[in-house]
Amino acid sequence: MNSQTWLLLLEGAWTTVWISAVSIAIGVVLGLGIALVRMLRIPFVDQLLVLYVSIARATPLVTLVLFIFLVAPTFGIVMNRNLAAILALTLNTAAFNAEIWRGAFLSFSKEQREAAMACGMTPWLCFRRIMLPQMITVSLPGLVNEMSFLIKGSPAIAVIGIVDLTRVTNRISAVTYEPLPPILAAALLYMVVIYALIQLQALAEWRAHRLAV
Amino acid sequence: MSEVPVVSLEGVSKSFNGVEVLRDIHLEVARGEVVSVLGASGSGKSTMLRCINWLEQPDRGTVKINGEHIGVDAQGKQMSVRALASLRARTGMVFQSFNLWPHLTVLQNVIEAPVHVKRIPRSRAVEEALALLDKVGMGHKRDAYPYTLSGGQKQRVAIARALAMAPEVLLFDEPTSALDPELVGEVLAVMRALSLDGYTMVVVTHEMEFARAVSDQVVFLDKGKLIERAPPERFFTAPESERVQRFLATHR
Repeated sequence: MNSQTWLLLLEGAWTTVWISAVSIAIGVVLGLGIALVRMLRIPFVDQLLVLYVSIARATPLVTLVLFIFLVAPTFGIVMNRNLAAILALTLNTAAFNAEIWRGAFLSFSKEQREAAMACGMTPWLCFRRIMLPQMITVSLPGLVNEMSFLIKGSPAIAVIGIVDLTRVTNRISAVTYEPLPPILAAALLYMVVIYALIQLQALAEWRAHRLAV
Repeated sequence: MSEVPVVSLEGVSKSFNGVEVLRDIHLEVARGEVVSVLGASGSGKSTMLRCINWLEQPDRGTVKINGEHIGVDAQGKQMSVRALASLRARTGMVFQSFNLWPHLTVLQNVIEAPVHVKRIPRSRAVEEALALLDKVGMGHKRDAYPYTLSGGQKQRVAIARALAMAPEVLLFDEPTSALDPELVGEVLAVMRALSLDGYTMVVVTHEMEFARAVSDQVVFLDKGKLIERAPPERFFTAPESERVQRFLATHR
């Protein structure tokens, strides 16, 4: 492999990383939002969210990507590839994240909440200052797992013509007739990205020992 | 007693799933008074205490803090979340299981509410918190996390946390029941000191010696009814009701 191929691979890796990163960032926050709204148990809205979570979790990424990319124009929405990819990945990951956040919310100590109420905190202040910091620590391992699943599932966005880290290996081997080296190189790059993510998990573990009272 | 009582419960009743846990409770606590609440487990002591700061909502009756309705107003209308919170800020509660916030250090636990609820400047909050931590003998642990502390130390920090809001009344919910016997003394000593400082306190407890030595009034709950209220000398030597006599006989 020459420097030209490495450059192509890195370009593909960048595409994978930035599209995944944007989707993860929105998906983590959106997941928290969904979990919070579900906690309020608003009739109709709650059922709607349950439906969304079930569908999004059950749909293969490739199907979701294609669906969004192909359906948008029929509603008159001009959708570029990257936007469709981000939307699909976000809708998928937010559904899983919502369940992770909800678990952390439901298992949060009632005693700690009462202590917060007793000294005059409003529920929102209690959420922000007492619950959220601990929910992040508790949820991070699950969230990081989900992030790594998303990155590893991201080659699905190639179906709408995005040249990501997996797609670019096909292109290279189509020219060189040597499929193995670019694929191995791509695997290496995926591992580097995932390894960086897993460092977050170590941080969570380091903080979690305090919570085990 | 012409002064407005710091705490007053009038006709408070409450049921859980059809079981009456509080029946028509009347209780007034004057400023500076220490009231111990005794009774068998399940008699409703803790529920009564938790009605005072509305952690439990009574089904009937009114609760007032310093003459102000808490939870529902005089017309029976539910008060806003914000109004309820600011009334609760005027009470301090100490729980059986300490309920410190584990992600915060000792000092952070104490300044959390003063800074974020009362919005007093952090530097002043820290200064006051350190004085309170010294008072409960925990100043040397200011930067420790709760998981490193013993039960007695946690409870002393929890007391400092309650004091930090400068509450008008301190509510203690069996503060020594979760402690190893050798750690009970250090917490009771702190509470005794608070009573001497003139704090108004309502203490749900099983510590007879403490109730006898520290309280101004002892009240006794039986099956959700407040059946006796007396100064400790009379309560422990000449209780009126036969139920209290039996209770004291088994707890001696």
